[in-house]
Amino acid sequence: MAVPVIAAPSRSDGPRRQRSSGIWPALAAPGIIWLAACFVFPLYVVLCIVFGQIDPLFRTPVPVWNPLQWDPTQFTYVLTHIVGTHGVFGPPLLRTAVYVLTASALCLLIAFPVAYYVARLSGKRKGLLLALLIAPFWISYMMRMFAWVNLLQNDGIVNKVLTFGGLFNVHVDWLTGQPVVVILGLVYGYVPYMILPLYAGLDRLSQPMLEASRDLGADRFSSFWRVTLPLCRPTIVAAVLLTCLPMLGDYFTNDMLSASPKTTMVGNLINDGVQAPGQTGQAGAFVMLVFLVALLPMLYYIRVTSRGSEVST
Amino acid sequence: MPQPTSRRQFLARAAILAASAPTLGAFLQACSKNAPSSSQPTMTIAAPDNPVTWPIADDNKPIADGLAPEKGATLKIYNYADYLSPQAIKAFEDQYAIKIEVSTFNDGDEAITKLRSGVDFDIYNANYTEISRLVNGGLLRPLNHSYIPNIKNVWPGFTNPWYDQEWRYTVPYTIYTTGIGWRSDQVPADIGALKNPYDSLWDPQYKGKTAVLDDFHSAMAMVLLRQGITDVNTSSEADLKMVGEQLNALVKATSPKVTITMYNDLPAGQLGLAQMWSGDIINAQSYLPEGTGPEILRYWFPSDGKGMVDNDMLVTLKGGKNPVLAHLFINQMLEPEVAKENFSAIGYQPPQNSITPDSLVKEEFIPENLRSAIVKPEYFDTGYRLLELDPTNEAAWRNVWQAFNAGGS
Repeated sequence: MAVPVIAAPSRSDGPRRQRSSGIWPALAAPGIIWLAACFVFPLYVVLCIVFGQIDPLFRTPVPVWNPLQWDPTQFTYVLTHIVGTHGVFGPPLLRTAVYVLTASALCLLIAFPVAYYVARLSGKRKGLLLALLIAPFWISYMMRMFAWVNLLQNDGIVNKVLTFGGLFNVHVDWLTGQPVVVILGLVYGYVPYMILPLYAGLDRLSQPMLEASRDLGADRFSSFWRVTLPLCRPTIVAAVLLTCLPMLGDYFTNDMLSASPKTTMVGNLINDGVQAPGQTGQAGAFVMLVFLVALLPMLYYIRVTSRGSEVST
Repeated sequence: MPQPTSRRQFLARAAILAASAPTLGAFLQACSKNAPSSSQPTMTIAAPDNPVTWPIADDNKPIADGLAPEKGATLKIYNYADYLSPQAIKAFEDQYAIKIEVSTFNDGDEAITKLRSGVDFDIYNANYTEISRLVNGGLLRPLNHSYIPNIKNVWPGFTNPWYDQEWRYTVPYTIYTTGIGWRSDQVPADIGALKNPYDSLWDPQYKGKTAVLDDFHSAMAMVLLRQGITDVNTSSEADLKMVGEQLNALVKATSPKVTITMYNDLPAGQLGLAQMWSGDIINAQSYLPEGTGPEILRYWFPSDGKGMVDNDMLVTLKGGKNPVLAHLFINQMLEPEVAKENFSAIGYQPPQNSITPDSLVKEEFIPENLRSAIVKPEYFDTGYRLLELDPTNEAAWRNVWQAFNAGGS
């Protein structure tokens, strides 16, 4: 097989690039402006609403822009109602954590073998399989949830299958407050977001490293356990984060598949709060809580990836 | 290699940024339209025993008489989904060679928030629990009665209603009761014959089949009525605490859905028993799957009229660009034929003189099993009204509702 020869970049490029150094900040500027305008500023607005006032007539939020005039009433209302005798927000927060962790674990269980197979074992069919993996993205999330509503409703296919054509008398009300169904919805909705990053990571796994482990006497299992998995850790963390974070703010899955207070997640609290006059500040407080909680795994991710690059170099 | 920003450069830039930050605050302050006003406005709350004539501001007079309708315009209507007959829209479009654009909302809260943001809808479907805010907030345009001769067609009680004396801003649109709807195939018991029909929603045997209205006031008022408390606008702390406890018990007992789509979920078989508006159970007939007849639908509202009875209104908005067309459209909706067709399309009864409980029965417009969903004029004398709540009380109500929605342990 002929190996294409790629000319090595000439070393003399270096100094010339240094001279035109103004171009790099210029290239970074759109990204920084974007971050400032669409992330830092909105975050500040959320803070101004959380610590702001409420219009006395319409009860709509009135943001207070000056941090010195911030009023913590709404934020403390939320904080003091998480645990204790008035702890109404504790259960949904805990529930959200349980749902999201369970759903992410299930996603990983489903997505890892699939991604592993496509990336490493599928051979010639890789392109086709990859296209099929991306296919769910073509259909809107709402349509996919509607499909589940159809399948799970009382006279839907799931109940029909469970009765084995009328053999058994099975009658499950799937769509009224079943935590299992909400978790299933989350898993189903977010599993493609897990497969793609996993695929990307597994696909560029260092082949020589794996060969070396086999040459040095590791069997298939220990080679997977001691080489593949550790090499994949940043990928797995990234993939889990990519699914966890949107799940944390998800309210739609629950609205479609349950709509019962029994399965309320923090996303629903935020959504309800935004729509209820006078409670926008509380919704903002939940946004901040989710933000803080999401920050921790992000920091962990940064640590894992930076350590990963240390290892590889 | 790109030259990294030196520490000195970084510090210099940070200093510039820090120096500009305070001006940013002032800039934003200038941008905000609705700075908190220092004085707490007192809210006038209309009630049957406290009829209110809303003032007409000098800068917001009704339109002049005899204006020609706007040409080639797009009339913008802001309404609940499935709450306006497509045929009525089409007829009006054809008559005036204009377009009608209907935008929808899920509840009044969402609607008011959007209306405040300065949109140019012409017509809005309002409820009298919003009227004080709508008028005082300067969102409504007063009506010019000369464009709306069809007001003569509505029940006399609505030509000078307590919530808007002299109908300065509103015309009545629909009337409805809030009761309980059920399917006789899923719920064989005659709910209406129970000693306290509201109890059925707390009955564990219907777990997973029930729903309550996703409207804090209607749902919480139902809890009050269940306990025999008829002040459905109470500001009593003890009452609200009781409502909160009852709602928690409700979640534990039957885990109800909280939704306003009963008119679809009940006929589809997802729900067997639900708190419902009378218009929704009538509308539910057209959502039944093939092979299921309307005879399975049932509705209960206290036959003595001692339940929740309300009405919606049509109003014209100050921000609308087509005030003349808006008046004409409202007038059209009060036309007996249009009102009746609209009734059959949306299930909500209009308070029209030509539509009486007797006529609905005689013409078999409403099937036998749903007679209880017909709204009778006398209900408005005996029934209980959800009124606008003052801001402090509303906050207390909403906190209870929010705790319920959070789902408890």
